[in-house]
Amino acid sequence: MFELFFKYPLAVFSRGTFVLLGGWPKWALIAAILLAAAGFGLLVRRMTAERGRVHGVRSVAVWLLQTALASILLLMLWHPALSVATLRPQQNIIAVVVDDSASMAVRDAGGSSRCEAAVRVLNSGLLDALQKKFQVRLYGLSDHLERIQKLDQLHCAGPSTHIGDSLKEVLADASSLPIGAVVLLSDGADNSGGIDLETISEIRRQRIPVHTIGFGREKMERDVELSDVEVPQRALPDSRLAAQVSFHQHGYAGQTAKITLKDGGKILASRTVTLKADGVEQTESILFNAGTAGVKTIETSIDALPNEENVKNNQLVRLVNVDQRTALVLYMEGEPRWEFKFLKRAVEDDRNLHLLTILRTTQNKIYVQDEYNDAPRLKDGFPTRVEDLFQFDGLIIGSSEAAYFTSNQQQFIHDFVDRRGGGLLFLGGKDALADGGYKQSALNDLLPVILPDRKGTFVRAPANVELTSAGRDSLITRIEEDPQKNAEKWRKMPYILNFQDPGQPKPGAVVLMDGLPLQGGRFPLLITENFGRGRTAVFATGGSWRGWQMQMPVSDMTHEMFYTQLLRWLVSDTPRRVVASTPRQVLEDEARVPLRAQVFGATYLPASDATVEAHILGPEGIAETVEMRPDPVEQGVFTAEYTTPKAGSYLVEMTAKRAGEDLGRDTLTFRREDGVAENFKVEQNRELLEKLAQETGGRYYTPAEARKLGGDIGYSEAGITVRETRDLWDMPAVFLLLLLLRSGEWLLRRKWGVI
Amino acid sequence: MRVRSVFLLVVAGFATWGVLRAQRPFQQYQTAEEHAEYSIPSDAYETHEWTRARLAYPSIMAPHGYPDGYKRWTIDYPRSDRLLLKGIKRLTRIDARSVEQVVFLDGSDDVYNWPLMYAVEVGYWNLTDEMAAQLREYLLRGGFFMCDDFHGTIEWENFMNSMRKVFPDRPVVDIDNKDPIFHVIYDLDDRFQVAGAQYLMTGRRYEYDGYEAKWRGIYDDKGRLMVAICHNMDLGDAWEWSDDPRYPEKWASLAYRIACNYFMYDLSH
Repeated sequence: MFELFFKYPLAVFSRGTFVLLGGWPKWALIAAILLAAAGFGLLVRRMTAERGRVHGVRSVAVWLLQTALASILLLMLWHPALSVATLRPQQNIIAVVVDDSASMAVRDAGGSSRCEAAVRVLNSGLLDALQKKFQVRLYGLSDHLERIQKLDQLHCAGPSTHIGDSLKEVLADASSLPIGAVVLLSDGADNSGGIDLETISEIRRQRIPVHTIGFGREKMERDVELSDVEVPQRALPDSRLAAQVSFHQHGYAGQTAKITLKDGGKILASRTVTLKADGVEQTESILFNAGTAGVKTIETSIDALPNEENVKNNQLVRLVNVDQRTALVLYMEGEPRWEFKFLKRAVEDDRNLHLLTILRTTQNKIYVQDEYNDAPRLKDGFPTRVEDLFQFDGLIIGSSEAAYFTSNQQQFIHDFVDRRGGGLLFLGGKDALADGGYKQSALNDLLPVILPDRKGTFVRAPANVELTSAGRDSLITRIEEDPQKNAEKWRKMPYILNFQDPGQPKPGAVVLMDGLPLQGGRFPLLITENFGRGRTAVFATGGSWRGWQMQMPVSDMTHEMFYTQLLRWLVSDTPRRVVASTPRQVLEDEARVPLRAQVFGATYLPASDATVEAHILGPEGIAETVEMRPDPVEQGVFTAEYTTPKAGSYLVEMTAKRAGEDLGRDTLTFRREDGVAENFKVEQNRELLEKLAQETGGRYYTPAEARKLGGDIGYSEAGITVRETRDLWDMPAVFLLLLLLRSGEWLLRRKWGVI
Repeated sequence: MRVRSVFLLVVAGFATWGVLRAQRPFQQYQTAEEHAEYSIPSDAYETHEWTRARLAYPSIMAPHGYPDGYKRWTIDYPRSDRLLLKGIKRLTRIDARSVEQVVFLDGSDDVYNWPLMYAVEVGYWNLTDEMAAQLREYLLRGGFFMCDDFHGTIEWENFMNSMRKVFPDRPVVDIDNKDPIFHVIYDLDDRFQVAGAQYLMTGRRYEYDGYEAKWRGIYDDKGRLMVAICHNMDLGDAWEWSDDPRYPEKWASLAYRIACNYFMYDLSH
């Protein structure tokens, strides 16, 4: 229809450049149009004066119609045309890329698979049309690009779809071959996280249009799909962890589904949830216990729902590395008080937290409790050397005035959080926070609150507590599994014996718990913040022992759980001197895994001159050593990429040495799973295909529209092209427009009776 | 139905009031010993981090010669308490109140607000089963109990009669010299019997057949002392008489040091 009126396909207009081929200058055209407009203006005015029936709006309408008619006729005299680049017949190559991944084997409504539909589209004239004008190279696309000679070489069983990587390979061919355009037949179900900007930029630079033909349903009728499961990569033994389970569904809104977390067949946790509206991404937090040390394979699944179309996308696997390590926490208390005693008792059963304490018992004496063999000695009190302090993972400062610490020690504490990545907890007390002079100290920077400018902020008066919305989601304050019951439990807890006004939370700080003094008012009681590489918190009371321990039955573990979870939060992300990591712990139909190590010296300055090796143990006796190279941008960072030869679990130990000195070691685990990726996102990703076409100057087609591609594809600036001009003056649309203007004026005049 | 509702409302009101008033304010009680009277300091009603509670308990018989019934728990009270607390304030960094807190094992929650409890003359105490159960709960939640000023075999047996109700299965043991309780502030390896004020009249250090001071205790499952038993000595008198020039300084000094160590041990374990 478009070509009937406009003579050429839409692609000519979208890619062509408008030109005037007439010999006269453009300004002359503008002048002629203005002259014509003025002339018609005079004529209309005279007509108004003479006949009196054409005036006001009518005269303007007549003038506009006559001027438009004259302008179009004048424009035609200047010989308008489109200049467009077209591919030279038989001299260019069209790359026809067919998605050969397993998701193309899905049978949508109609019974045939997407793969069969793609072959049918090509065989029903499109391939012939292309081959008439161009050389055609066929490719199959899955986790890599593969040249094929015939369509029957497609198996639609590839383990994953990497559209971006495959297009890069086509571009590589284009550097030596005159590839004029790419035709991509796919469902767009890419497993590599989309097409990166670099690839798009490269395609645009080479001006190769990518035309896409989309296959498959854009929405499943009845399906629940796990989108992602987020769990911490590392944890201390027996930690309470939260799995953030994200999923969406179609066809089951309002129904319930059961989410289960397992480790090697053992159920860790399960929860029944109510499904939200179709297509809405839903995230549920499910708590589970990390258990003993070792690698935990957390299998998350949603029970299959009645008549579900695809149940293979109901499971995801994640790994949690439960470190057999003990975190050291130093507690500096300036005043003998009950909170000190009960905090120590609260965490003493946690085998992975070693709490070392310094208590100022008299004006000139301290009492040090450092009974752990692996702990640094503290007989002289608070560390005076930075490397001594940096042996700890966490630090608690109780009711101890800021001036007790020397300026050097204050700087060490600052560096402990900022550089070493440790956790720092401030407790309330008569010599703490604002009353302890912290506002004027170097430690003020570390506080997650803006301390009040006054003294007397510590009040020995009772206060109840209430969780904030952030506190209801936090693991620190989670005593009961159910968030609702948990909030209720905190609300009903007996009051704490004292509190301190910590001031206002700083931007970026998170308030987990509010205090509600019985005398009235509200203040932030528990505030956390990330600072530098570490984290800080304020718990603005020294009286939690009263309400949460002594007023509760022996069997109640609220106080123990609260302080254990708070201290675990404080130290669980504190890095060691060697930190091994990978962005992908589970490789879904992917062989390459990037490895990364951060290496520090004793004072936690980056050790860029270290020698770092990754010792890899894999399935069936795989044992390899990979030398890691220093990152050119980030100091102290070493990277490597390892290609896994087989599916299975891998253990990597990274070791760092410098001039014979052992800097440390760290381990990580990852797992390669094959035959998984193509079970997910099986709907057609039309958005991706449309965007790819739009960004590269191509066009998205449905299978029904695909036959038009044969006509459109010749207009391209890639490959071997010739620039052609296409006259516009003889377009039927022009004559229709002229006719419309003239007849429109005639009809109006007839209506007004001025013919 | 309406009467029942009103009754329930009244009960609920009292319960709420009880919770809000769970930490009872300081109150002075009549002492059984006139010479132990002591003025109430001006800061008695101020709030502080810590004070030592004194347990008011029922006893099996009235003290000899004291007309005021069975108030054995008030022996040395309050002079001994007030002088001791002055010493604690001066010798340690504990933010101590100037006055003691008298507590009762009466089934209310108040006792749980005062995690360190002292009792005198426990050779005559007579806890009911309910009291013993509450003391057990108090100790297991984290409270600490120190007792003193009872002597000889008979008073020990009576003390144990009630203590066995509290902990039927936990043994009473001699505290080892290496235990931190004897070292937390002062190293107290060389301890001796601290005699009561009766020494000033009799010249005898011991009472009844309590010839030798016994430093005993009951430990919890984590190896921490939760009951410290000072048998065959009278630390209460030593604190009470510490400003009397006739009372030997070395006994008073040891009594204060013991108190400092015991209290600091409790606050740090």
